[in-house]
Amino acid sequence: MPIALEEILETIRMTEVEHFDIRTVTMGINLKDCSSDSLAGLKKNIYDKIMRVASEHVATARKVESEFGISIANKRISVTPVSIAADGFYAEDYVEIAQVLDKAADELGVDYLGGFSALVQKGFTMGERNLIQAIPEALSQTKHVCSSINVASSKAGINMDAVRLMGEIVKQTAEKTADRDAIGCAKLVVFANVPEDNPFIAGAFHGVSEPDVVINVGISGPGVILRAVREAPQNMNFAELSDRIRRMAFKITRAGEFIGRTVAALQNVPFGIVDISLAPTPMPGDSVADILKAMGLEDVGASGTTAALALLNDSVKRGGLMASSHVGGMSGAFIPVSEDDGMIKAAQKGHITIDKLEAMTSVCSVGLDMIAIPGDTPASVIAGMIADECAIGISNNKTTAVRVIPVPGKKVGDVVDYGGLLGLAPVMPVSSLNNAMFINRGGRFPAPTRGVNN
Amino acid sequence: MAELSEQDIRRLTEEALKQLGAEATPQNVEKVVRQAVHRVETEVPAGTQQVQPIPQPGKGNRIIITAFGKNQIGILAALTGVLAENRCDIIDLSQKVLQEFFTIMLLVDISGCSKDFEAIKEAVVREGEKLDLKVIIQHEEIFNAMHRV
Repeated sequence: MPIALEEILETIRMTEVEHFDIRTVTMGINLKDCSSDSLAGLKKNIYDKIMRVASEHVATARKVESEFGISIANKRISVTPVSIAADGFYAEDYVEIAQVLDKAADELGVDYLGGFSALVQKGFTMGERNLIQAIPEALSQTKHVCSSINVASSKAGINMDAVRLMGEIVKQTAEKTADRDAIGCAKLVVFANVPEDNPFIAGAFHGVSEPDVVINVGISGPGVILRAVREAPQNMNFAELSDRIRRMAFKITRAGEFIGRTVAALQNVPFGIVDISLAPTPMPGDSVADILKAMGLEDVGASGTTAALALLNDSVKRGGLMASSHVGGMSGAFIPVSEDDGMIKAAQKGHITIDKLEAMTSVCSVGLDMIAIPGDTPASVIAGMIADECAIGISNNKTTAVRVIPVPGKKVGDVVDYGGLLGLAPVMPVSSLNNAMFINRGGRFPAPTRGVNN
Repeated sequence: MAELSEQDIRRLTEEALKQLGAEATPQNVEKVVRQAVHRVETEVPAGTQQVQPIPQPGKGNRIIITAFGKNQIGILAALTGVLAENRCDIIDLSQKVLQEFFTIMLLVDISGCSKDFEAIKEAVVREGEKLDLKVIIQHEEIFNAMHRV
């Protein structure tokens, strides 16, 4: 069937007016074969491998963008968790490795490189502990490197020692980058049930079961879904509303998969997955919060917000799963505060609180994301937030995460402007009640019974 | 490029005979072996791959040009003029004029074209700018991916 003029115009409206783009095309690169008997050798092997494998990544993505008229907002790289590719080093060695990763990312022209990571849900190796200790220094000395630490899973439970440690590391990272409003914390995520093929930063890394090189794609497109919901009559019921969202999700996922497959084929590497998460930007009209409002809420934070998000998330999955055989990564709706115009406004008005956001994370794909909190928040409170998110994650068999920014010197009511995709973060209040005794217990928080499902 | 020895070719021939079974006429065997040799010779060794043209399986190389702007005399002539100069084959076109606004869509085969995609894109966009038109050019495949189940 030939393509109708209306279909062409719809596509153009999606890309030109509704900000539909491919959020990221991320090349995953295995670094397990880079080991060496010396730090210098290891650094050289890592640098050489990334530069060799990814040499055409940005150029190829640009070419595909131009030929199909769909913009690829970010070209990124993820690597094997550095604690696996390079176990058994000292903290200062890991900082040097981060610098090598940063240098490669810079020379290749990618905006972020993910994988300064460790998976410690059950316990630490010495190298993993040292890598975590190196995070504040590594993130303050590099521009492109992102770090993620998985501290819990439905099978292993929660490593509460790691949770406590990460509370302190988030604080230290904020202090090390205090001159840049704690930007280091925007590059650091703490996960439960982390997916190993996630193309989105800051949580991207190249899982141990992945092939040597792979291309994963993350789509965006809240603006497109927003139009579909806005154009729906006020009395449309939920089944029909879901259907409208599903149809749009199908189209944007198909575009994402097509672009990803093309970028992969041109570089002669396998295509991995499409992550069908709706990723918002701070641009007006490109907001997940606005979709929830368009469903009939005065603002996000109203009672019914969690249900609205659940409907959105499920409808997007239905369309996305039909559109692609390989859906992976996080695949849900993101609700980062600073990166979403509607969320920023709701937070500034006090309509949305951390408590409501926490409830929303039980139905959406990630967790407390890009939230600025007062600089004097104690490490134990941050650890408590991580523990809460981990509990939601492992009890519901889903990914959850915490990316909060305790901005030094800022208090509730202040606003931090990071610019670009990271956006504008109003400092939000958190509980100041004492939880130190709870956090200091440490040890392993047992896996939930539903984790034992064989 | 891989160098093929006589032994390799013998091996390929035996493989082809086995595959073809009862249909193994000399012509058929030669055809299969030639294809196999071609595959081996054109295989790119790992690590040396360059950005290659977008593959267009079985569809030729077709692009869709969409242009919008204020209606005026000579839009269609200007756009098709540039395409003709570059030996692009127009397969289909559709246009709409709503009050003073003009929208046109052209389906164009560029497989016989003297220039590559980027050069044609630049030429048509430049021509469109002279007439205050917004011109968008995309390969047809993206529309098939998005709008066809």
